[in-house]
Amino acid sequence: MDVETVTERAGPREFGPGDEMPREYREAATRMIQFHANSEIMGAYIERPFIRQAPSLDRKLAVSAQVQDEIGHGQLLYRAAEELGVKTREEMLAELENGEGKFLNCFHYPLDDWYELPMIMFFVDGAAMRRQATLKRTSWEPYAHAIDKICFEEGFHIKHGEDILRTLATGSRKDQERLQEAFERWWPRILQFFGPTDDQSTHGDFSMAVGLKTMTNDDLRNAFLNAYVPKAEKYGLELPEYPRVEYHEDDDYYEVYEEDLDWEEFFTVAANEYPTGVGQIEKRRRAQDAVEWVRDAIETPQQGGVDPAAADD
Amino acid sequence: MKWEVFRQAKKKDYHTHVGDVHAPNAELARQYAQIMHARRKPANSLWVVPRDDIEEVHADEQGVAMGGTTQKEYRWATNYNTDETFAEEIEASQREQEEAERDLAGVDE
Repeated sequence: MDVETVTERAGPREFGPGDEMPREYREAATRMIQFHANSEIMGAYIERPFIRQAPSLDRKLAVSAQVQDEIGHGQLLYRAAEELGVKTREEMLAELENGEGKFLNCFHYPLDDWYELPMIMFFVDGAAMRRQATLKRTSWEPYAHAIDKICFEEGFHIKHGEDILRTLATGSRKDQERLQEAFERWWPRILQFFGPTDDQSTHGDFSMAVGLKTMTNDDLRNAFLNAYVPKAEKYGLELPEYPRVEYHEDDDYYEVYEEDLDWEEFFTVAANEYPTGVGQIEKRRRAQDAVEWVRDAIETPQQGGVDPAAADD
Repeated sequence: MKWEVFRQAKKKDYHTHVGDVHAPNAELARQYAQIMHARRKPANSLWVVPRDDIEEVHADEQGVAMGGTTQKEYRWATNYNTDETFAEEIEASQREQEEAERDLAGVDE
């Protein structure tokens, strides 16, 4: 199939492993799905310390389940990307640990205290869910199938995040103050979740044309703001003065002043060059190395006549 | 030889298991599957798989916990009393989880 035909036929779940896709499509889809998979894995690493730090057993169990879900999503997505035939899962995992793999800007920043957790588990996951819901209609069918399962589970993450947010927002004055501080620190990064404006996006047009993406960055950002700004206000969170967010009453939508956001930092982050992000990647590399022996044990045939089935006895 | 048949009704649907056929080889299995499972009902594609090649994990026989046989309320969106109606995608996820919970309850009965 050539790119022209792909563009003509592009629609929800239109293409699968049985189709001969052109190189441009396979590379664009790989880039997009690999980014998504990497983000799931790195998100899990950000949240993992909070299994230990959770203030109650219920929270501990829920954060633990969530971390487990994210790793599972990563694996599902690597499989969906692998079927494009550009890179193997092993190659993609190797790229992640050696710092070539790109992932979501928000997971390059350290998460130091419990008050910051709802920023990830409600706002960032909420933004991700907004985007993921549109990908149920992506043109690469294996990706859409992975998204079906991801969206099923993600609702729990966001509701748990909102539950923590509500607890803190209705807690002591000190809780409320620390929550507000965390919000102010994270809000600009969250606004950058969807990437730069459409006119600056490098890959957006092609991805839209071949149906990999079904909504542009700008439309997604506006849809997110419409749902989540009122939500933040409901919990008594005040939007910081900068970046300015304006409500257009006539057309009922919010708009952020892009020029108020630190795009220099964003692109440093995106290039895996932001110091705290480098630390996150290093952590991931150490974890990957630490369990090398497990992968070896699984993949290497057993010596000394021990049959894998012996484990069943 | 037994072959399990999975039918995809329309393009883009998931293949779902619809039954089996007995056939001595793959070619006949495909033909029988067509006749048995795709002659009347709409079908876009069939998967025909040798029964012996299917790996199975059975909850009762292997004594494994699958799909929430242990108490894990904390894993369900429905466990959290927050308003999900502010975003349609959260509502959709909540609905899917409610359905899954109902199915699980049905299994227990």
